[in-house]
Amino acid sequence: MNDVAPSRYKFVGTRPIRPDGVPKVTGRAMYAADMAMPGALYGKIVRSPHAHARIKSINTEKAKALPGVRAVITGADFPDHKFEYIGPERVAVNFWHVSRNVMAKEKALYEGHAVAAIAAISKEVAEEAEALIEIEYEVLPHAIDVDEAMKEDAPLLFEDMITRGIEPPPTKPSNISKKLEFAIGDVEKGFAEADVVVEKDFKTAAVHQGYIEPHACSVRMDADGQGEIWSSSQGHFVVRALTAKLLDIPVGNLRAIPAEIGGGFGGKTVVYVEPVAAMLSKKTGRPVKITMSRDEVFKATGPTSGASMTVKMGVKKDGTITAAQGVFKFQAGAFPGSPVMNGCLCAFAPYEIENQHTVGYDVVCNRPKSAAYRAPGSPISAFAVESVLDICAKKIGMDPVELRLKNAAKPGTPMIYGPKLAHGGYIETLEAVKNHPEYKKPLGPNQGRGVASGYWFNGGGESSATIQVNADGTITVATGSVDVGGSRASMALMAAETFGVPYENVRAIVADTSSVGYTHVTGGSRVTFATGTAVVDAAKKAIDELRARAAMIWDVDVDAVVWEEGAAKPASSNVGDFKPMPLKELAGKAAVTGGPITTAASVNAGGQAPGFATQFCDVEVDPETGKVTILRFVAAQDVGTAIHPSYVEGQIQGGVVQGIGWAPSEEYIYNQRGQLDNAGFLDYRCPVASDLPMIEALMVEVPNPTHPYGAKGVGEVNICPPMAAIANAIDNAIGRRLTELPMSPPKIRAALDHAAD
Amino acid sequence: MPTAQVNLTSGFSRRYTGGRREFEIEAKSLRDVIKALDKMYPGLGEHLETETTVAIDGQIHDEPGYFQKLRDGSEVFFIPKLEGG
Repeated sequence: MNDVAPSRYKFVGTRPIRPDGVPKVTGRAMYAADMAMPGALYGKIVRSPHAHARIKSINTEKAKALPGVRAVITGADFPDHKFEYIGPERVAVNFWHVSRNVMAKEKALYEGHAVAAIAAISKEVAEEAEALIEIEYEVLPHAIDVDEAMKEDAPLLFEDMITRGIEPPPTKPSNISKKLEFAIGDVEKGFAEADVVVEKDFKTAAVHQGYIEPHACSVRMDADGQGEIWSSSQGHFVVRALTAKLLDIPVGNLRAIPAEIGGGFGGKTVVYVEPVAAMLSKKTGRPVKITMSRDEVFKATGPTSGASMTVKMGVKKDGTITAAQGVFKFQAGAFPGSPVMNGCLCAFAPYEIENQHTVGYDVVCNRPKSAAYRAPGSPISAFAVESVLDICAKKIGMDPVELRLKNAAKPGTPMIYGPKLAHGGYIETLEAVKNHPEYKKPLGPNQGRGVASGYWFNGGGESSATIQVNADGTITVATGSVDVGGSRASMALMAAETFGVPYENVRAIVADTSSVGYTHVTGGSRVTFATGTAVVDAAKKAIDELRARAAMIWDVDVDAVVWEEGAAKPASSNVGDFKPMPLKELAGKAAVTGGPITTAASVNAGGQAPGFATQFCDVEVDPETGKVTILRFVAAQDVGTAIHPSYVEGQIQGGVVQGIGWAPSEEYIYNQRGQLDNAGFLDYRCPVASDLPMIEALMVEVPNPTHPYGAKGVGEVNICPPMAAIANAIDNAIGRRLTELPMSPPKIRAALDHAAD
Repeated sequence: MPTAQVNLTSGFSRRYTGGRREFEIEAKSLRDVIKALDKMYPGLGEHLETETTVAIDGQIHDEPGYFQKLRDGSEVFFIPKLEGG
């Protein structure tokens, strides 16, 4: 841990105790599965056992006749949606696809795909009913691996899918949903100028976000068409919008109430159970609760894509990178929409390279539809790019940090997506690693050190907040941002700083969709930046109102009143001889000066700064077993201003832990029938405490001038470097380059059995 | 009136502007840019509003906003919308 530089703020940058801690550690926090609506039915989703099958018929009559069953629904019960891509290119939503992912219609496209759902008086009755549903499948050949799925003779998930992004469009259908291409400069010229050119193929496995809390919801649809959704998500406004769209009901008829969230990491930005529970509730007139099992979470919710990639980079002997090229093929899962565009845009973003070219392919295959996962796409391409850079550094005999420093992106660097970089911060992370006392420390036998960097855009956009000044001078801050990583504490800190009152006087809550303005998801590392801006705006409006109230009491013009250190004060001695009037006193006079003091602010926040991270780790490889032990992990990250440094360190450590899981152990393992063989935490191996060293978080503070307190998103970029850092360390330890994730002991043993490159 | 240098990605230009990627537009705000492009290519304005992230002098704004101010020589890039986790 490092203490950041002495703060120029009184409250921002301090480490108060988290406001949600007590209910969480005492088991009293309300998660979605804890909700019990009066008269609720048990909802169960019936899932396909096949990876790919045509649904020839579903007979639900026997199940419906079972005593205790209140409704059985299939895809036919959901409204049809037009086949069209709506909205942004990367996140274009095609509700024809979304509705079929929630409930299959013509085909089951992966093992675990929802094909029917039951509402019954108990779990036992629902399970008995499941056995009575007669589904006739025509089992079809499946495609799991992305390279296999791209082959001309691969089984097609959609017989009419023509690749988008190719002119003229192909005449034959394929599993390639989309091709993307980005370029600046002339890569051929750049490679011709290089002294060393390195080209390598890489593969990464699909990995799950691994949140502890399974998806759960309780939904009540009333006879008047209105409804309430209680669920765990990263954005209850999005849950409301998607559920309304899928059921074809007005958004305003639904109220979505956020539960505490037990982890999301991107995977809870989409809906799976809410529309099904809503439809069952609509059919039965009773509330319906659905809670996924862990098996269902693995089989039917989005992991991030596995990928197949080729990266080529050219460097001069002095370390100048002359050209960089990457081809990235990402599994989208059963429906289009992998994060391959992000992979293409982030791949070389930490570097100023004159000549760049990236090509991306979004490929459907018989796996659950991929969902966002912490800096979606960027860690995947970073694994390949940062590995190739390490090879380049070795070939020219240059320290890997020095190579990165030589080419580091800085304000004004042209980015492959068009504009010039507006913010710095990367160089500072490299310097932090370079100057770390352990970086040059000698290593023992079978030990190695690896370095890698990462880039993530971070987010801004739409957020809302309201401020209430309570009668005793305490303050309630309500936002629409689900608190995934400590946002209630950081919102309260920013409000306290703005008002100039102690943190303990400010309480922040997450309000439901009917109680605060629209707020986009907690994702993209956007909340501290965007929602924080809304909170500060709302606080400033409240301060203006408080100044007006003081002016009324003093019989002076509002411009003669200033706000300092939590109190209204005369702007100068000319105004009059008035003692400062603290917030508490003004709050007590709210009624006579105009009523409750309540303000709101909504923003479309822009100018977010991207995140840069550089990490190094030391590993030891057991040459007999191939086991990798991580001895040390140091993670430097530009965090702008650390609003609550403990939470920031937690984000850095959390991202590194997930990266450490991605590197040697996590993967979806499919059998010959296309079924997932490791749908549980026993066989899907996330790292546990005993696998981990102390992860040293180095917070580098380069404030973002576009945020009132300099905040930058801190939640995601930390997962980008670990896989390459570990691969580079393994190569440094044993002289073998691992190019396929996970770098499991058998693969390391196999590499040791072969000669080095 | 200040003039902004406006750029579209190859994907957008292929779909909506017959391949033209670069424009010089007199504009004080992003609203002026969107209005001008929509006049040249009817319907393009809505695509830009809903499908893009915009970078103004390198500063990225997830959602284009009419209120975003431009200076003389501002570089405006409409890029595909981004998504986080």
